[in-house]
Amino acid sequence: MAAPVEVIVTSDSGSQLWNITVFDLHSGSSLLSYRGGNSSTRTLTALRGHFVLSAQLGKNFINVWEIQRKDQLQQKIVCPGVVTCLTSSPDGVFLAAGVAEAVYLWEVSTGKLLSVLSRHYQDVTCLKFTDDSSHFVSGGKDNLALVWSLCSVIQLDSNHAPEPRHVLSRHSLPITDLHCGLMGTQARVATASLDQTVKVWELSSGELLLSILFDVEIMSVTFDPCEYFLFCGGSDGNIFQVSLCSQSLGRDKSFQSDNDGNQVFKGHRNLVTCLSVSMDGTLLVSGSHDETVRLWDIQSKQSIRCLAHKGPVTNAFIMAAPANMFLPDSRPTVPLPRFSRHLHDGDTGQSGDVCVRLAPYTQEEEESYLQKADRLNSLMNAVTDKSIFGDGENTKVRIAELEEEVQTLKKINKDLFDFSSQLLTKPT
Amino acid sequence: MKSKKKKRQDDFQKVKLKVGKKKPRADNATNTNFRTKGIHLSEQLKRDTSGPTTHRQLSINDLLSQLHHYNANVKHSALMGLRELLSLNPSLLEQHLSRLLSEVAAVFTDKDGNVRVAATRVLRFIAQSVPAERVAPFFPLLSAHLSCAMTHIETGIQEDAMKVLDVLLEHYPALLAGRPAVLLTNFLELISHRQSSGGAKKAQDTKGRSWALSVNLNRAVTSQQWRLSVLLRLGRFLQAVVEERPVEEGDLSAAANGVFGCSGEGRLTPLYLIWEELTYSKVGVKVYEHSGAKPTPRSTFRLRPEVDSGASVSEGLGSAEAIQSFAATLVPLLLEVWVEASTSDSPMNNTEGAHLLSPDAMSVMFQVLSILQLLRKLAPQQEHQDALDAWFRKEYLGDFIQHFMKNFPYGTQDTPKHRKKAELKRNKQTAAIPGLTVEPLALNITLCQVMVSLSQRQGLGRETDGDWLTLLRTFVRDTLSSGVKLSYRHLHMLLGTVWKMVLTQRSKTVTEDLLAAVYVYYKQRNLTLQTRSLLLSFYSKLYQQEQGHTHIARSKVLCRWLASLPVQLSQLGHRNPTLSARLIVSIHAAASRGNKDMLNSLQTNACRLYDQQEGVFALLPAESQQRMVQLLYFLPKMSQSLLASLSCCCTTGRISAGLAASLIRIIHLRSSLSGWSVGSQEAAVQDVDYFSFLFSTLMGFSSYKLASLQEDEDKCALPCSPLSPLSLFPTSVEQFTHHWDVVEEVCHCLETLGSKSQCFDILQNGFSKYVIKLEVFPDSMVAGLLRAVSRLLDPSVVPTEPVVRFLSQCCLSLMALLFTLQQEAPAEANHKREAIWGACVVALSTVPRLLRMVLQMLRVGDLNEEELPQLGQILLMLLQHTPLHSQLLANAALLQEIIQHITRYNRSATREQWLTDLLYCYSLTVAHGSSAHRGNLGLQDMY
Repeated sequence: MAAPVEVIVTSDSGSQLWNITVFDLHSGSSLLSYRGGNSSTRTLTALRGHFVLSAQLGKNFINVWEIQRKDQLQQKIVCPGVVTCLTSSPDGVFLAAGVAEAVYLWEVSTGKLLSVLSRHYQDVTCLKFTDDSSHFVSGGKDNLALVWSLCSVIQLDSNHAPEPRHVLSRHSLPITDLHCGLMGTQARVATASLDQTVKVWELSSGELLLSILFDVEIMSVTFDPCEYFLFCGGSDGNIFQVSLCSQSLGRDKSFQSDNDGNQVFKGHRNLVTCLSVSMDGTLLVSGSHDETVRLWDIQSKQSIRCLAHKGPVTNAFIMAAPANMFLPDSRPTVPLPRFSRHLHDGDTGQSGDVCVRLAPYTQEEEESYLQKADRLNSLMNAVTDKSIFGDGENTKVRIAELEEEVQTLKKINKDLFDFSSQLLTKPT
Repeated sequence: MKSKKKKRQDDFQKVKLKVGKKKPRADNATNTNFRTKGIHLSEQLKRDTSGPTTHRQLSINDLLSQLHHYNANVKHSALMGLRELLSLNPSLLEQHLSRLLSEVAAVFTDKDGNVRVAATRVLRFIAQSVPAERVAPFFPLLSAHLSCAMTHIETGIQEDAMKVLDVLLEHYPALLAGRPAVLLTNFLELISHRQSSGGAKKAQDTKGRSWALSVNLNRAVTSQQWRLSVLLRLGRFLQAVVEERPVEEGDLSAAANGVFGCSGEGRLTPLYLIWEELTYSKVGVKVYEHSGAKPTPRSTFRLRPEVDSGASVSEGLGSAEAIQSFAATLVPLLLEVWVEASTSDSPMNNTEGAHLLSPDAMSVMFQVLSILQLLRKLAPQQEHQDALDAWFRKEYLGDFIQHFMKNFPYGTQDTPKHRKKAELKRNKQTAAIPGLTVEPLALNITLCQVMVSLSQRQGLGRETDGDWLTLLRTFVRDTLSSGVKLSYRHLHMLLGTVWKMVLTQRSKTVTEDLLAAVYVYYKQRNLTLQTRSLLLSFYSKLYQQEQGHTHIARSKVLCRWLASLPVQLSQLGHRNPTLSARLIVSIHAAASRGNKDMLNSLQTNACRLYDQQEGVFALLPAESQQRMVQLLYFLPKMSQSLLASLSCCCTTGRISAGLAASLIRIIHLRSSLSGWSVGSQEAAVQDVDYFSFLFSTLMGFSSYKLASLQEDEDKCALPCSPLSPLSLFPTSVEQFTHHWDVVEEVCHCLETLGSKSQCFDILQNGFSKYVIKLEVFPDSMVAGLLRAVSRLLDPSVVPTEPVVRFLSQCCLSLMALLFTLQQEAPAEANHKREAIWGACVVALSTVPRLLRMVLQMLRVGDLNEEELPQLGQILLMLLQHTPLHSQLLANAALLQEIIQHITRYNRSATREQWLTDLLYCYSLTVAHGSSAHRGNLGLQDMY
């Protein structure tokens, strides 16, 4: 299998011809473009590597493409209002959308609307899942970010409304972006806000770890995969890089004042609305309202490439290209059902049916880690055994064979000697 | 032989005494003719040089050994001596602490009252001067002696033990609270006695209780007073236990500092950084412990409830069960005490007088209630507390209602005159026990709190709590709305009661009723700051609870309170910044939730709040100003007048430049031109208003100010001259810098609007309409305008003739100003000079035809002696600025003409330095340019 190919997926609000464009990360060449409408901010998401979803700008529906059919919509999911943010869980089981003050949660396999969470007081601006799909975080214009545990949200307990696990309420102006780090429930969450701060929280405890006050409003935020750096896109077009684990080596500090990783990427001229870091942490993609997407080398802080767009960039992120993306003949393994608009009622006749979810990648029983380790161990041992000791049975036979050969050779030699000595000593 | 005989006879010679002769004096007779006098040695002659002594020359060793003396007086005087010695020589205390404490503690149980009193005094003295951690090792001994004294068979010793306990409670509450088990039993034994198990019949009566109240007739005080004093100590002791309990999970602290006190910060201290400091790497960032790989101990994810670590506080009150069993013993006793107090007090027990109590009974009851309250608080964790509440409810609710609520609002008995004597006597007795006067209000409020904690959440399928809650509610409502001044403590307790009732009863009428009463109290004038902020935080906390409590969310009183906040803020003015800050926080919370009433009220009051002269915004300290700037974001509509006063606030330096910048950006975000909008939020600012806001902020001076500037021309404005065609008004360095920062922000906003050419058109129109007709210009305004023009200029746009003419005048005047500045204040005006020079140069290089216009304006013939060198300097600087070279070369003919004029008009005999430099630079530029001249031919048309 080839190494995973990473692609940049972008969309802007002004383009007439196409909605979503896919670029190659390294060459910057345009690979694909999906047609139909325009996507609104923070609503572009790839579902299970088979579908691409994005909300239509200013309208109340979500466009769905099959990932290999770029010309045609698979369906439109009609929502009760304008969708402000959309995301799917990394395992592809759930889809979450922010519609006005509420968060809608669908189950992808059945299309059922599982839950409507109206805990925010104002519009929801961003939604993110943790990488293990166990929690999600929603940020809103009411200055709050809420951490939801997915299992508590989807429990069909009609008696009391689900409560968020944590309420992160230290911002004083609307939250513009949030980013959820890796490591599942131990992740760190970064939130950016119009109050000119970026705050880093601990998901497991809901505690504030770090707050950085900037000179300008911060419109977007992201970590690199190792969480060495925090990238914050400002409203003046600068991208600020904050080093999260600077070693305080007192002596060297005074000499190299600016070499500490706290630096600025300069190039955009307007709000930086999207940020994303590549898998290896070397490249940064930023989308801005100045109608460009820029690719930066993080080490040297230079703009490598500038991809011009037709309008303010609404989405730009780096993702591993799904296998189906470049195979026009492929089909999604599981079809996408119709998504329901109304909350699933327990009273209707369908209440009896039970939904069995097959996770997309676990069709057969997977062997456990222990078994895997055993197998690996035996494999490795086999190689070394063979090289050093060889196989028991075969050696004996081989030795016997060799000995036999030696015997034959000796016999031949003796015969030759006898013959020649006879010849020499033969009296003539 | 003979001689021998004779000698023997000599030995026993008979003395013959004869009458009339004097008896000879015996040889060994004592001479008794002396006289004696007694000498009283009050002090020892021997001086003990080993250590300091008392005035009786007794060292500490002597004194301590005297404590074992059989005579009470000696012991007493030894104790007095100790106190004297220690107060004179504090160093002794440290050396002999161990012996001192053990010896002094041993006399707690002395038979003589005076000795005990003296011992208590010494103990008090020691406690005052030795900190708790140094007494800690000796404390087991002390408490053993204390227990001994408390359980002593003599009542006198028991009574005095209370005083010892007082001292220890006052100074070492933590140490006492650490060992509660023994002491609690001692307390019980002081007022009751364990019943023998033989009394089966009695045991049946008392529901299997093994303790019964005891009455001792031998005591000097009445048994009720004795109980009161014991209960008082027990209350204090429990208080100490509650306070010293290690705070876990933050629940208890929240309970302790009030249900609606600000909930504490997290358990983790977050890092607060500022970007500017980060860039200069003044601070090291270290966010993750053990590089973030391990889960933090603060995680709320639990696999199973944690097993109690147990051992630490195993004795006594560590677990909920222990508390429950202790309460099971104590509460019946307390009830008995209560009953006795209430009945003994009103012997006739008629119905109308039953609620009137004598002061004694009242204080007994008060103590009973406060102990009940403390018992609740003893529970180590929140869930335990709930369990304990439920248990109390199950076991004792009936008893409590029967005994406590029967005569509920209690009052003081009016003492009839004729019993005055008895009263006096009683007063004398009670005076011995401190803190005994209890107002009926305190009693009633405490009763409310105790009872309310027993009320249960009213949900589906549960029986309602009956009349007693109504009774309580009526009392609370009446107390709050009667207009009586309440002390902070009482108010705090009452609000706690209201809080609990509102949350548990979940009924709209109850909520409305109670909140209205609180609101009546809130509206009183002249409340103290503490009270006011308590009420404020009560409301705001309640408001934050509204999620999931529809009865709170729909409360009209709460809405009214929210809507009144902006008015209050504007009325408060700058008199009390802390209170204003609290108000702003509440407003901010409501605004971020989009509360309609509050936002409407805020909008109507916005003009007054943000007024540049006497508005709150201009007068409050910086933190509140920042909050108020953030509030602007939530305003649904910003009127023209509001924007006008905001613009004035920005320009007049009422707020810092950074804050002004964020204000401008927030208004930018709320205009339709910002582009950042999620969901359906309407723009708060009309585009026209937004532009006029930006333009007036760019100008930096209001029309009124400019007009006044035009009139008093005699003042400080620099006059026009051929070299400076505009009359400039020099502003102070601070004002200039402030304005410069603001201009940068405004320019940035204008740049991001999208179409630069249209922006420039608008700016140009503004120039020709408002600016050009002026006569006196502030220099900050001129520099700002130049800066804005050069930043906004689009290559596709050609500025109109009058504007270019005006700009060239600006340029020239500013460059002339540079020299006057140079003469004035070289050091501090550096920044200003750089800014001015930068603005000029950038404008000259970007705006087409501007340089030519400037050069054309230089009429050398009109200049006088002094101005000529200045012109030379200006030209020199321009020539030395390399980015301008190509433009200068394009105007080579004009330049040459000017240089020729200068050399001609320079009448001084010797060639001065500046002229030499100028000519040299000129020749350099021209020589350099001629080589590249052919390439620049095209430029000539442009510039």
